[in-house]
This record gives sequence, C-alpha cells and structure tokens, in this order.
Amino acid sequence: MSKDERYDVVIVGGGHNGMTTAAYLSKCGLRVCVLEERTESGGPCETVEPLAGVRIYPHAMLMYGAPAPGFEQLELWKYGFRMSWTPFDLIKSMGGVGQPTSAGIEAPHPKDMEGFAKLSGLASATPFLQELLRATFWCPPHPPEVEVTDDNVPYMQVYKERQPDVWTPELREWTMFDLVDEHLHSESVKTMLAFAAWASGAAGHWEGVAVPSYLSVVLLLLPGKMSIPRGGLHGYFHAIHRAAVAHGTVVRTCCPVDEILIQDGRAVGVRLRETAASGAKKIWANKAVIAAVDYKQTFLKLISKEHLDSGFIQRIKDISLKGGSLYVSTLHTRKPLRWRDKFRAMDETGIGPNKTPCGAVYPSDSRQIYYENVMDVDGRKGNPSIPPERLMWFLTPSQAFDPTDCQGHHPKGYISAAFEVNVPPPEYHVDGPEAIDKIKDKLNAYMRQAFSQAMEGMEDDNIIHHWAATPYEAEFRHSGLVGGTWCGTRHCRDQLWTQRPLPELARYRTPIDGLYHCHQTSGHPGALCLMAIPYNLMHILIEDGVAQPGKWWYPSPWYIPQQGKISAIPPK
Amino acid sequence: MREQPMFKMFEEFPDETTWDVVIIGGGPNGLMAGAYLAKAGLKVALVERRFEVGGGLATEEIIYPLYSSNPHVIYHMMVDYMPVIKDFNLDDHALVWVKPNSQTAMVFEDGKSLVLTRMIEDTKDSISKFSFKDAIAFGKVMRSWRRIVSEIVAPATYIPPMSPIDLSVAMQRTAIGREMLEMVERSPLEIINDVFENDRVRTLMLYSSCMWGLDPRETGIGFFVPLLLDRGMNKCLCYGGSHKFAAAMAREIVRNGGLILEAAEATRILMSNGHVEGVLIGHEERTLKAKVVMSTLDPQTTFFDLLGRDKLPASLKEAVEGWQYDKWSFYTLHVASEEAPHYACDDPWVNEAFMTIFGLESVEQLLSHWDHVVKGKIEKHFGGHATCESLFDPHLSRKPGKHVSFFQMHAPYEIEGGWDKRARELDEAILAKWHKAAPNMKKANIIATKSETPEDIAIRFPNMRRGGIKHGDYRPLQMGCFRPNQECSSTRTPIEGLYVCGVSTYPGGLVLGGPGYLGANKVAEDLGVKKWWQPTAEMEKYVKTYLT
Repeated sequence: MSKDERYDVVIVGGGHNGMTTAAYLSKCGLRVCVLEERTESGGPCETVEPLAGVRIYPHAMLMYGAPAPGFEQLELWKYGFRMSWTPFDLIKSMGGVGQPTSAGIEAPHPKDMEGFAKLSGLASATPFLQELLRATFWCPPHPPEVEVTDDNVPYMQVYKERQPDVWTPELREWTMFDLVDEHLHSESVKTMLAFAAWASGAAGHWEGVAVPSYLSVVLLLLPGKMSIPRGGLHGYFHAIHRAAVAHGTVVRTCCPVDEILIQDGRAVGVRLRETAASGAKKIWANKAVIAAVDYKQTFLKLISKEHLDSGFIQRIKDISLKGGSLYVSTLHTRKPLRWRDKFRAMDETGIGPNKTPCGAVYPSDSRQIYYENVMDVDGRKGNPSIPPERLMWFLTPSQAFDPTDCQGHHPKGYISAAFEVNVPPPEYHVDGPEAIDKIKDKLNAYMRQAFSQAMEGMEDDNIIHHWAATPYEAEFRHSGLVGGTWCGTRHCRDQLWTQRPLPELARYRTPIDGLYHCHQTSGHPGALCLMAIPYNLMHILIEDGVAQPGKWWYPSPWYIPQQGKISAIPPK
Repeated sequence: MREQPMFKMFEEFPDETTWDVVIIGGGPNGLMAGAYLAKAGLKVALVERRFEVGGGLATEEIIYPLYSSNPHVIYHMMVDYMPVIKDFNLDDHALVWVKPNSQTAMVFEDGKSLVLTRMIEDTKDSISKFSFKDAIAFGKVMRSWRRIVSEIVAPATYIPPMSPIDLSVAMQRTAIGREMLEMVERSPLEIINDVFENDRVRTLMLYSSCMWGLDPRETGIGFFVPLLLDRGMNKCLCYGGSHKFAAAMAREIVRNGGLILEAAEATRILMSNGHVEGVLIGHEERTLKAKVVMSTLDPQTTFFDLLGRDKLPASLKEAVEGWQYDKWSFYTLHVASEEAPHYACDDPWVNEAFMTIFGLESVEQLLSHWDHVVKGKIEKHFGGHATCESLFDPHLSRKPGKHVSFFQMHAPYEIEGGWDKRARELDEAILAKWHKAAPNMKKANIIATKSETPEDIAIRFPNMRRGGIKHGDYRPLQMGCFRPNQECSSTRTPIEGLYVCGVSTYPGGLVLGGPGYLGANKVAEDLGVKKWWQPTAEMEKYVKTYLT
C-alpha cells in the first residue's frame, strides 16, 4: 500500500489530450502523473478486436492532426510513430468519380476542384496549407482584453495575406454553405461537405464557423490524406504516451478520480475512487491539476459546488451537445458489400485487397435532404423518423489498405468500413437517454435498409454480424464522450475560439486557481485528436509560470500574450 | 511500396535503426526480457505484430460494445515467485493483484460442491463433506507438496534447466528432493488416485492438475501435480485486467530508453556472416539492426519462417521439425449478463470463487471428455470452468451493475463437424449447462454472448499455432532441458546472436515469467553487461541447497 503521493502536475484523464499535455510538461522537466479510469489509456484513440481478426476503431479512425507542432516538439518519430499511407488517389477520385445521389452519381465539375484548392491554400504560387491549418487550430484564443477583429483572427490574417480573393469581411459571419456557394459548383459536393462537417462538430448550416468547419474536412483530406498511423489512431497515441513515459510521466490506468481537491480556492490534488487500483487514494499536485476529461464531469462532478457560482454552473449545464452524436455500424458479411449498378463508378474508390467500399456520403442530393436530416435529429429530438431512402449516412474511409490491418484478409467473410448516422444526443431524446438503445435491433435493420439504397449485400442472409454502438453506449465506454458526440460538444460560433465552451474558460483556465481544462468538449479547437488543445494550453501554462520549456518550444505566430503574464514567446 | 504523403508535415520513425537487442514478440516474456535489458543500459527495441503488446496478457472488448474480458490469461499463478514483480516498482503503475480465498469450486448436479481455497484448512473442511480421510490426506500431502513448490519447482523456474541426470543427482540431497523425483516417474492420475479415495475429490484434483495440458496418464511430468495444485490455490487476478501487467512492463521498457513498435510484424531475421544482423519489418520495409535478436515465437515460426531452414544446422532443423504443438486448445464462451452467476449449491463460497468447474461428475467422465478432445470430438458430457470476471474487477463492465463472465473448456483445434457448425451447438449446450448449475443464468438475464474457438485463438495470435496456448505440448521430451530442444533450452541458440525466450523455451508457458527472465540473464552475461538485479531469496536458497 502506498502513501499519498505528490507530483508537480496531476492530469485527470489519459486520453490523447491528457497524455499529450503530460508529454509536453514532463519534457519541461515537471513530475507528472496521469490518472485514467479505463483499463487502457488512449481515450477514443482505440482499437478493439471483438472477433478474432476483426478490428473496429470505435471512434478516432483517421489522421487529422498532421500539421501539429507536437510531432516535432515531442519528437514522436523517436517513439515509433509511423504512418500507413493510403494508395488511394483522392484528387483523382474527387476530380473523376463524383458524388452518389439518389439519382445516381453526379459527375464532378472543374469548379469544385478549383474552389477546393483555393480555399485550402493550394492555388497560390506558394501553397500555405500548413500555415492556414495551424492558424485555425493550433493557436490559443486571444486573451479577454483583446477585441477580436477581422484583422486579428488568425485564419483571416492568413487569407488576407496569402489568398486575398477568399478574404471578405463577411467570412467570419458565414456558414459553410455560404463559403462553398461562393467558391464551389456542385450541390452534391456541398451537401457532402456539410454533412461531413455536421458529423465532425461544426455543421454546414451554422453561422460564423464556415472556415473552421471547412478546414476540419481539409485536415483529413489533404495533409492526412485519409490515411492512418500504423496500428490505427491508438498507434499514434502509443507514440504520444511513450514520449510522456520516456520523459518520466507516471501513467496509472483503472484509477478513476472522484474529486479535485481544492484548498483556499486553489486546486491542490485529486482523490481517487475507492475502487481505484492505486493504493494511494489522494494524489497531490504542487503546481497544477489538469482536467483532461469533459466539462460536465469536471465542473458538475469532480468539483464541490461550494467552489463555483450558480450562474456558472447553469451555463455549464447549457453547453450544447448537438452535432456529432453518431450511431455507428460495422458489418460482417458473407459476400462483400458492393455499390449498386447505378453507382458502379464508385468501385474505383474501393480500398484494400477486397476493394472495400468506403469514403462516401449518401444521398448527397441537395441541402434539402441535409436539412431534413438535421431537423429530424436536432429539431425533433426523437427516434429517427426519416424514411430509410432519405436517411443520410457516411461510409467512412477504410483502413483495409494497411497490410497490418487484418480485415482485408479475414478468413471468414468480409468486414465493412464503418457506417455513421447522426442521432440525437441521448440527453436530449424526448423519450429519455436509453430510448435509442432500447430499439437497437430495430434500428440496425432500419439502418441496413438505408444503406441498401446504394449498396448490395444488406440482405439479412448475407449478414453474419452487425456491430453497432449507440451514442449512449459511447458515453458508457468513455465517460468523456458526453452526448455520445465524437467531436465533443457543438463547434458552433458560441462555443468556439474565444467562446469555447464559455468565454471565461476559453484560455483553458478555470474559476479555480491551479486548475486547467484540456479536453475536446471544453477547449478550442475541439476534437479530431490534433494535439492542438495541449499545444494551445502550453502557451497558458507558460504564461502562468507552470511550465518553462526548453529550446524545442515555439509558440503560435498568431498568439497574443495576456497582459501581466509571462509571454509564451521565448526571448530572442 | 510505402507511399509518400502529398504534403510532408512530420517525421516518421526511420527506415533503418541500430540497437543492441531486438526482441520479436511483445508477450509477457518479450516484455520482461526487454525491461530487464533496457534497465541494464542496453539499447532495446521490441517489435509486436498486433496493435497492442501483451500477447496472452490481453484485456479486450470481446463483447463489443461495453464488455471487456481477459480472453486469454486470467489466472496468474506465479505472482508469489516471479522475480519481475519484486525487481520492478510496479506499484508505480498501480498494478494490484487480487487473490481470493475461494479459488476453485466444483459444483455437481446434485447441488453438492467442493471448494479449493487458498487456506488449506478451508479446503479440508470442504473435502470432509465427501471424505474425512481425503481431507486429512489433502492436509498431509500439501504439507510436502507446498515445500516441493516453494523450495524446488518455483525457484527452479527462474534458473537454467539441468539435464535429467544432473537433476536426479541434485535432488538426492534432500528428502523433499527425493520425494519430488519419485513423483516425476508417476502419472498425474496415479498420484491423485493414490492420495485420494473419493471420486469427486479426485475429479477436482485431476482437473486442477491437468487443465493446462498435462496428459493425466503420462509419466515423467509428475512434478507438475504439486505445482499446479499449489499454484491453483494461489491464483491471482490482475485488477483492471491482465493487460495492465503488460502495459506496466512496456512502460518500464520505455522509461529506460527502449522502443516498442506495434503493428510491426517481423518477417525476417537477418543474417550476415553466420551471425544475426537484425530484424526486417517486411510490410513497411523497415530494418532494425542488432547484435542480438531474441525471439519469443514458437520454434517453427522462429527457425523456419523467420530464419529459414537453410540457415539451420541439421540437428536443430530436425529438432524443430519434430516439435509437437499442444494436444488441445480451448473453447470459450464469453457472456454479458444482468447478474453474476449464482450457483445453486450447498456452499455460499462457490459464488465467491475465482473459478467454478461444472459439467463433470466423475473421473471417468473427465477422462472421457479429454480423450474425446484429443480425438477431435466434444461429446454431450463435457465440462469446464467458468469465471465471473466483473465479480472481482469492476473495470471490465462499462455498464454499472452488469456482469461479464466466461465458460471455458478443452477443445481440439480441428473438430469433427467443423467449428462453424459445432460452435453454435456448443454455445447452446454451454448455456443450458450453465443455467442448470446457476439458475439465474437464464435467457432473460443474458445480454450478449460471444464465443472464441481454437481457430480464433490462432487468428488472434498466429504463433499459438493450432490454438496452442503454450506454443508446444507439455510432454517429457519437450520439458526441462528439452524445451524447445537441448541446443536451445538455455535460451541461447546455435545461431550466433539469436536467443529464444518464449513459452516454447524452458520452463514453459502460463505466464511463469521464466523464459523472458532467463533470456535476459543469458543475454546480459553474453554481452558482458552488469546485472542490476539479484536472484530472489527462494532462488538463492535453491542454488545453495542443490547446485553448489
């Protein structure tokens, strides 16, 4: 039995955000302890093998975070980080195949590609893709005393300087539809982008998030190239985890935290649940406690109410979970799934030895159908009531190109890519949070009927198994996935950048001294396993004198130091 | 071919790197060997084919979503003796072992039960329900069998093997040594029948002694009976799942400067001028060069598939060709349920037991079940053992209040009728038997099930060929200094720079922690590296008593 222990920093939650922060801080020479409640750290960067030889990636699947400074600053290559690059030629596909709509494939238009390239920073003489993405995601929100203007929003600065014809004073006000209406041509492409963005947290019809929303899709398509790290996103996590451990971080799984201990208004440590594996049930933090779990647990469960004012608690409760609560299906079939005849050209986009169909949004007819789906999920808040032929689904890109991924050569049957469908967050369901779970078998059949509109092989006698995970199940699996949202609360304008999730929390500080938050639900830029929140948080921890990084550190070029604090910009 | 990214934004692990030691396989032995050697200052890299290290130390969401199981290793029998437990500060990783007193229960159709407990007197109480004489005999025999284990078999697990002749000479020095030698020559069935008179008591003892793959009628392996009975009464559960043990060892490697690559399948052991030169990860065309390569895989994978038959001396080639894989494997049904199984029987401790055996009423029935398995059949009267994992470990069920259990039984790799058909029938038969033994395991309480066949074991872990969890049968000619063969049982092989330290090497499998520890010792000695660790007190005493 160990006695109570003491570290410089205690991090609650061993997902990618918590662990990346641990890697950064231990690299600064701090003594760090990461406490994770699950049997395995990694949060949603995980792989499961429910049937021998069949891997399911329940959440994070693809590499979005390529522009992250963390790769270089934490030297992830040293800890075994490798990629598995897809041979799939995205540009060729976008320019050649087109989008599946209920009427068949809508052929691409050259203006789509031109607009796409321009918005992504690829149309100018010197491409500025990385700069644009870093400006949008890898920069802490400006301090409260700085008025946010067209001139200091980082992506506005980049567009203005590098691609002035994209810049307009309205850009910050637009929805993604406004943006693509201006620069792209095909309605089906716009619908596909809007739907993909809805599932990723910043929906196509939300005001004022056009650029972050659009660029979240670009992160996947261009630098990530719809590829995966070796071993899946859990392999990426392994490199982060090992960078942390190599620098001295102590990692403990099966150690759920029940309380963040506060003395004189300052976070001083944590108390573990009685069932925690660790003998020491209280762990003290000299410099900081970092809540790398969702905002609900942090402020409504882990901190005693006596430390927070009621207005704040109410606003915490009101943070919106809409967008990105996904019902996910993976199918094990006797014969392979195939596109129906009228979508035959989609075969070209199949991946791996079995040419697994993947990477499509159906039906991408028009924003009309997109709105119908949004209304059914976010407006009506009940079980799906859309006729299966109008239900929109996202067939994720497949990992079957990776030779170390066994699904491409499973000895019995075929494994599909994951099908994702938006459903209401369990918390908002009119019939209660369990409503969707209670009719899972019926919903599985309904989903397969929807998939069968475009695919052959959905017949009952072809299905060996249908693995499905509901948003509520996602919450049980990972307590941080509140609302079952993969992207961690709505990335709408009122909950992004200097407003995420509330203005007073935007710079990762909390009303409690010494307590910082570092989770996709509560920090800009939100989700996608970008190592962005930890990088952004580093600026703040430097400002507060918690961290003093070495020469390897560089801040965001768009970062504005807070008055009266230590600047995170190293002295020349 | 590896594709190049369209916009290169980060560095990846290099195509060629150089190490002192490369370990193939991230199971318990590979991890332990790596942890010792990395801490000794060697530059260590470990490559693992799966997406996660651990090998049999796996905790996986077999019933997806929400329910995790330990599909493989769950009963940790050598925690009391494994040097690795004391040599590393595993507290730092919050590694906790749970050892329930109620260890193994056996329930019978008439509602009677037997419980093998950690505390001898509790077991005697239970046996006395059937035979007062057997209860006394159990107490008496355990008095010396415990000593055989703690003074001889357990410490010898971590000391290089001796030839049978040297071993007999050494064992003559003490009375318990001589007693152990006598046992070696007898079959488990003979030993059990000699000690106990009651058939049900014999059934439990025989199951516990032979369940990990001893042939009950074979002579030459009798010392396993005291080992497996004593250790069967001291099984530990790794709190938070068996994978936690693997994760802790992996962090010890990394903390000491070592590298771990997952999803990295070694496809070739590279040779140059008769000496190993490194390991090729074929799928990604990466080479890890090294002075020493340690393989934890089975002999045929290591020597034939990765090295190549043409590289082997004739005698080694012959030995590897003659290697016999396990005679049986396991069939496991994982179940998520509303309640923990509650067995209808005469002893409440059965419902607290770590392992509960049911379906077997007599020695005859048990032997007949095993005989059928060897012939590729499972007949109506099968039996096996069950564990409700969530009873001891709340982390495995992500849905509060729900439980996750499994039933496991011996099974052939190739079954008459084929696994596709038989698996469905068996699942129904298992649930019917389970329901009979534990009435609350009724359909209404079952949330989900998922079975794993021996074929599945071989798919998950390809070098558990034919579903063999020990990479090779336990038979006299594959044990001791013959495991995997006389040329390699010290862990050093005739191929310069190549070592073998998986469960097909002395002392064998079941997470003994022996092969990895012995491999690390041998490599440290051969590379002239100072060992930072000391033998355990039990090992020192053994060496003093028998080897000096």
